[in-house]
Amino acid sequence: MGKKELKVSLFLAWRSLIRGNRSSTVMTVIIIALCFTNMIFLPGLFNGIGQSITTQLVDYEVGNVLVSPRAGDQYITDLDATLDLINHMPGVERATPHYTRGATLKSGDRILSVGVRAISPSDEKYVSPLYTKMIAGTYLGDGDTGEIIMGKTVAGDASVRQEDEFQPSLGGVRIGDSITIEYGNGYTKDYRVKGIYFTGWSQADGTVYTTMSDMELVEGQALDRADYITVKAKPGYSEKYIKDELQSYGVSQDVQTTSDLLAKGMGRALQSFAIINLVSLIVSIVITTVVLFIVITIKTINSRKQIGILKAIGVDKTVIMHSYGLQVIILALFGIIIGITITSLLGLYMSLHPIVTPEWSAVLYLTPIDMLTNSLILFGAAVVAGYVPAWRVAGEDIQKIMRA
Amino acid sequence: MIRTENLRKIYQMGNVEVRALDGVDIHIEKGEFVGIMGPSGSGKSTLLHMLGLLDIPTSGRIFIDGTETGRLTDYQKTMFRLYKLGYVFQDYALVPELTVMENVALPAMLRADRTESQYRADTVEILGKIGLCDRRGHLQGELSGGQQQRVAIARAIVNKPDILFADEPCANLDTENSRMVLNLFHEINEQMQQTIVMVSHEDWHKEYFHRIIRLRDGKIVDGGG
Repeated sequence: MGKKELKVSLFLAWRSLIRGNRSSTVMTVIIIALCFTNMIFLPGLFNGIGQSITTQLVDYEVGNVLVSPRAGDQYITDLDATLDLINHMPGVERATPHYTRGATLKSGDRILSVGVRAISPSDEKYVSPLYTKMIAGTYLGDGDTGEIIMGKTVAGDASVRQEDEFQPSLGGVRIGDSITIEYGNGYTKDYRVKGIYFTGWSQADGTVYTTMSDMELVEGQALDRADYITVKAKPGYSEKYIKDELQSYGVSQDVQTTSDLLAKGMGRALQSFAIINLVSLIVSIVITTVVLFIVITIKTINSRKQIGILKAIGVDKTVIMHSYGLQVIILALFGIIIGITITSLLGLYMSLHPIVTPEWSAVLYLTPIDMLTNSLILFGAAVVAGYVPAWRVAGEDIQKIMRA
Repeated sequence: MIRTENLRKIYQMGNVEVRALDGVDIHIEKGEFVGIMGPSGSGKSTLLHMLGLLDIPTSGRIFIDGTETGRLTDYQKTMFRLYKLGYVFQDYALVPELTVMENVALPAMLRADRTESQYRADTVEILGKIGLCDRRGHLQGELSGGQQQRVAIARAIVNKPDILFADEPCANLDTENSRMVLNLFHEINEQMQQTIVMVSHEDWHKEYFHRIIRLRDGKIVDGGG
């Protein structure tokens, strides 16, 4: 098929679309657009949830790589040497220790059991954006003692009655308030609330932070141990690379990347998401293919006589077939463009109004690759659905179709 | 120009064998305006479709300009129709989504030996000849029956074919429009030395034909040449 024939096919296709049945054309484009939206919305939403969980897990829980005690050990010991080793490895932005003690907080008549997590505030800033999430007061400093920061969930809201609370709290603690903390080892001390933060990640917002210096007072000794160390990778270094480096440098603790942890913790959930995505994708493709197949079949059946006439006046069957195929290609292109527009608008709307649950908040996570892949899949399905009926009718005997 | 040898077309209607054409031998010279006439069911349209390569004979041979058409492949037949033959159908058979200009230009667009400017010029010239230049941007639905048939004729001759086939082109027209169409055929035949083969069942059309081939029950009864 030469350039001239293709030009005639395109000419016939375009004329048929703009001067033919417009309502059918518009409906077909809308169906393709909605199928595209359906194909990309659910996976985008699940990706958004996964992305949100991953980001929050990295930011507030484990960093890029988590170094935890070997099986059978309660703590990472020889903390200073271990941190020094990790911090000097290529690709490591910063490693920071976490040490948590169970405690009971008392504020007025409210009593709340939470974990008090000790951190090195200046190092923590390299690993977690928690210091940017302060909604009142200020973040901790390295030498702070007798001061804590707490999540909004722990601080609570004075305007909400205790029996109406979704999660138990201290009932509306404010900056400067004094809180009594009684640790599991019996150590009791009054703390001043230095800051209140809100991250949107329920586990972080339900935690109280203090400094490693303060925790040394609680423990009554210098703290050369930690529950775990979170490691932040420098830009351009993969988690896997850091993990391998840590292991090759002889860090004898248990080393896991965020992906490892997600696979363990959320593997089943992610697998379910993948299955739902696949089912949604297949259903959308089948619907699009069937709809386009029906539209083009009806169109070719209604145009059988005309196809016969075209063949009679010397228009080759490939030109006729391509004219119908090109109609579907044009419809699919418009449908995909509108679908991308609808999806982008939904993405924009959801970035402004994310789906918020107590555990996570999610937006529509769409990448150009997702858009391109889905566009190509839909386009391929449309081409098959359009060409098959066109090929069948165009190949029929002239007399047979002219008598139709 | 056109020659057939013992042309037969047999349709199987259940257990009944219908002989639409039964041993037809004809010979048509270049520049002739030939009418194929006969009663309904005599095989007129079947013969025209065989000659125009729109249908395949059960047996027998057709030669057009020395080419035995039965030996051509499907694609070669399509190209043969595009370059050498023109058709006018009873029901005009225009493409409804195309304008008058586009309908007429369509066969010319596909020819490898015509540039866009050439086929545009040819189309405008032919529309001028048939008096529809002012209607070039109109769609089929905006034309009268007579005008539609004139457009169909213009489309049939835009490629300057060797032979023009017309299958009862006046069947849907009143006498005035029929006469206009026949006069147009006459002019084309006279001025362009165009060979025309036309099927008709109207007796008064015979005054336009150089020769009449009469068919009855699939057999030539007169004028086979």
